Amino acid sequence: MIRPGIRRLFRLPVRRGAPVAADLDDEIRLHLELRAEQLEKRGMPAAAARAEALRRFGAMDEARGGLYRAAQRREWSMRAREWLETVGQDARYALRTLRSNPGFAAVAVLTLALGVGANTAFFSVIDGVLLRPLPFREAERLVVVWETDRHSGTTREPAAWPDYLDFARRSTTVRDMAVLLGMEVNLTPATGEPARLSAVASSAGYFGLVGVRPLLGRGFTPEEDRPGGARTVVLGEAFWRARFRGDPGVIGRTIRLDDKAYTVVGVVPAGADVGVDQIHEQAAYHAPYTGAGDVDVWVPLQAGEADYPRDTHPFFIVGRLAPGAGVEAAQAELGRIGAEVERTYPSNDGRGVHVEALERVVFGPVRPALLVLWGAVALVLLVACVNVANLLLARGAARAREVAVRTAVGAGLDRLGRQFLVESVVLALLGGLAGIALAWALLRALLVLAPADVPRLGEVGLDGRVLAMTLAVSLAVGIAFGLVPLAQARWVDVARTLRSEGGRGATGGRARRRVRQALVVAELALSVALVVGAGLLIRSFWTVLRSDPGFRAEGVLKAQFELPQSRYPQDFKVWPAWKEVHALHATVLERARALPGVRSAALAAVHPLDAGFTNSWSVVGREAESGDWPEISVRQVTPGYFPTLGIRLLRGRLLEESDDAAAPGVGVINETAAKRFFAGRDPLGQVIQIWGRVRWRIVGVIADERIHGVTEAAPPALYLPFAQAPGASGVLLVRTAGDPARLANPLRRAIWAVDPGLAVYGVEPLQATLVASVAQRRFTMLVLGAFAAVALLLALVGVHGVLSYTVSQRGAEMGIRMALGATRRDVVALVLRGGIGLALLGTALGIVAALAGTRLLASLLYGVGTLDPLTFLAVPAAVLAAAALASWLPARRATKADPVVALRAE
Amino acid sequence: MSEPMPVVKGTLDLLVLKALSWAPMHGFEVTTWIEERSAGALGFDDSAVYQALYRMEKRGLIEAAWGVTENNRKARYYGLAPEGREHLAAETARLLRFAETVTGILTAAEARPA
Repeated sequence: MIRPGIRRLFRLPVRRGAPVAADLDDEIRLHLELRAEQLEKRGMPAAAARAEALRRFGAMDEARGGLYRAAQRREWSMRAREWLETVGQDARYALRTLRSNPGFAAVAVLTLALGVGANTAFFSVIDGVLLRPLPFREAERLVVVWETDRHSGTTREPAAWPDYLDFARRSTTVRDMAVLLGMEVNLTPATGEPARLSAVASSAGYFGLVGVRPLLGRGFTPEEDRPGGARTVVLGEAFWRARFRGDPGVIGRTIRLDDKAYTVVGVVPAGADVGVDQIHEQAAYHAPYTGAGDVDVWVPLQAGEADYPRDTHPFFIVGRLAPGAGVEAAQAELGRIGAEVERTYPSNDGRGVHVEALERVVFGPVRPALLVLWGAVALVLLVACVNVANLLLARGAARAREVAVRTAVGAGLDRLGRQFLVESVVLALLGGLAGIALAWALLRALLVLAPADVPRLGEVGLDGRVLAMTLAVSLAVGIAFGLVPLAQARWVDVARTLRSEGGRGATGGRARRRVRQALVVAELALSVALVVGAGLLIRSFWTVLRSDPGFRAEGVLKAQFELPQSRYPQDFKVWPAWKEVHALHATVLERARALPGVRSAALAAVHPLDAGFTNSWSVVGREAESGDWPEISVRQVTPGYFPTLGIRLLRGRLLEESDDAAAPGVGVINETAAKRFFAGRDPLGQVIQIWGRVRWRIVGVIADERIHGVTEAAPPALYLPFAQAPGASGVLLVRTAGDPARLANPLRRAIWAVDPGLAVYGVEPLQATLVASVAQRRFTMLVLGAFAAVALLLALVGVHGVLSYTVSQRGAEMGIRMALGATRRDVVALVLRGGIGLALLGTALGIVAALAGTRLLASLLYGVGTLDPLTFLAVPAAVLAAAALASWLPARRATKADPVVALRAE
Repeated sequence: MSEPMPVVKGTLDLLVLKALSWAPMHGFEVTTWIEERSAGALGFDDSAVYQALYRMEKRGLIEAAWGVTENNRKARYYGLAPEGREHLAAETARLLRFAETVTGILTAAEARPA
């Protein structure tokens, strides 16, 4: 019969494998024996009884097999249920413990949330921007084939059309090539305002080359890609959804671009234009393409040698490596081909080839900044973890008594260990959950602040991969922590703890305190390193903001437009006598000047932060020498440009209204050009020749404008009067008395009053353009600054925590000291010394780390060295001051301890 | 004696539970209990009983423990768990209702309900 009390033990210990089989066999054997006995009792002979017992059981092999499987399933199921129950118990216990210690729980969860949340947000950025593959077929095999110019020392030049044909025909390492060029076109819709669209003209093979399949319709055919071919257009997905509401019937409709009708033949998905922005941005020669954002429309390039002879270089070549070929092999081969072409054609003097992986072009600029920031984020997580470890240590000491009691009562160390582990995992998962919420908010902020030229930023989000990584990080953190209290539990001397009153003997006193102090020192060191890095970036940014761009942007409003050929014929044969263009310019300027609050107005082909185009040139009388000179930036401006932008005249005179089409050609050069090409001689009176036959006499030298951006030196530049050298694109610049933004709409209306069909775009204060140009720098600075601040805050909390704890543990000692005659001030000094000691050590280590580490920031700094003394002095001073404050609070509390109470408690 | 009737798996489960509702038993005891109550009218392999026992133990309807028989032989004893008791009550009621309904239709004296 069943043993008494068997109810309590009804739950069998789970067994697996061989024991399951053995138990099963035992059970079957017993059954067969009992059956055989029963049958024998009824009169059957023994052998027959046994056989009958077997028969009644069922086909033994099958039956036993089935039972074995059922038994296994049973064991598995019970094991799982038991495990879940234990873990569930532990988890519930953990939650109860956390609830009874809300202060600790809140601080720990928040700290972890900060660390995990920041990492999650950042990882999703890194994943979305860098790690995800480009949406092209085998994107790693795509390359950009730049041309180089030995004379100007540039390595990322666009190529000439005939050069492209030669390269494509002769290269075996780059199997396929296509050509593209970014530009902007006016859209004149049937209803509504004209708009400015960003467009790309590409050769027919481009989509197929990169592996983009149209969402609707098709790409271009080779027939359409010939000069004079049909005007077809492919829409970008974002533009199609915005303008045509995703209507599939858009194929076959026509849209008017630059006053010409184009038939829509296809729609390409978002992402088809990846790389276009970056290619244009990194090109030494700045095409009139502002980039930043989706390409709205694609049109066939329709290039031919007649329109684009070998001495013009407008296009960018993208190619696909042949199977088995690498970038180096392609570089070697195309370099050779380029050299042959250079020898054959005098127009190609100094031009070479540079092959670069497309991925590097796209990600190269942002990769270093993103990686530095990720390093910072990882450090923040580390600091957060160290803080929580400290908290756990402190709590562990407080729970020493509980641990001792439970150990004495018989809880095995691994039962305790499992419980601590579950506790830590629960804490970490809670922190992870809170972290995800924080990450969501952080991501919103990041996306708002981020500069527009970070590729694919719009597609970044908290996706499955990111959440899975967060979970993994939280679990890892939790498990790592779980070991801390376990290690502590080992240290607990059960007997001493149970004997002593306040469990004081269990603190392991000195050793534990040392560990906590070491952790705090580590935290401080990490934060100091981060703060130094952030400090360097802040100083860089400040230097950038303070640097003189060469023109005065405040108070200036700009508006851009482009004149379509249809209404403003731009026949190069009669240039510069473009009647309609000049008429429009004059009228627009007049109306702009008439607006209230406008002090001066000017027109230019490009605005001061647009590098515009460059041209090869020579000085009459020095042609041989000029052959080796780099190209010069050509700026077409009206005379009002210089006063409107506050550009200083250094020598000679500025351009004047009298320098019109009837007068002889004149120009002014900038200081860089004067120093470089006219050193030791007077540039005034010299004659410059560009575009073959046209000549300009230098009448003045002006101060440099930093057209390549505030942080880049100004290139040599030549300023020509708009009246003598008109262009189709125009930038209207007005200097106003008040806030330039208020004039935005009046300015638009003034232009439309002259020609309502003109698309006016880029209307913003020039100051905004200036700020946007340093957007990436500002972003990196803000993010690193935020992380450094968080890390420092966490470290200071850590300092405070350690000192508070020390004070509370040494309360009796303080009491005794004061009873023996120490003043409050002495006690405060004692505690403060401890805190400042920690801070000094941490700061010193942090400085050492920073000395080694700021090298990583070198590419991001401007005007500040990686070992900038000011930063390296200011940061430690500030951190020490903060640490002193963090120490002072517990110090003050130490004096509040009533010595009598403290002594009695002992 | 007429041909023994085959037993549906689910019904055998109920019979096993009923057996265990009287007292904890080992597998052979359960088998003979059912045989005696059914006077041999039900036909099933002995191993089917063990299948039922393992299945229901996995589901948590019954619990098991090793014990010894009167003859000091090691046997695996099964007992009813609270969930098993509930399951037995509910399923028995359902089965009886089902049988009653079907019986009512098959033994109807009239072609139409009264």
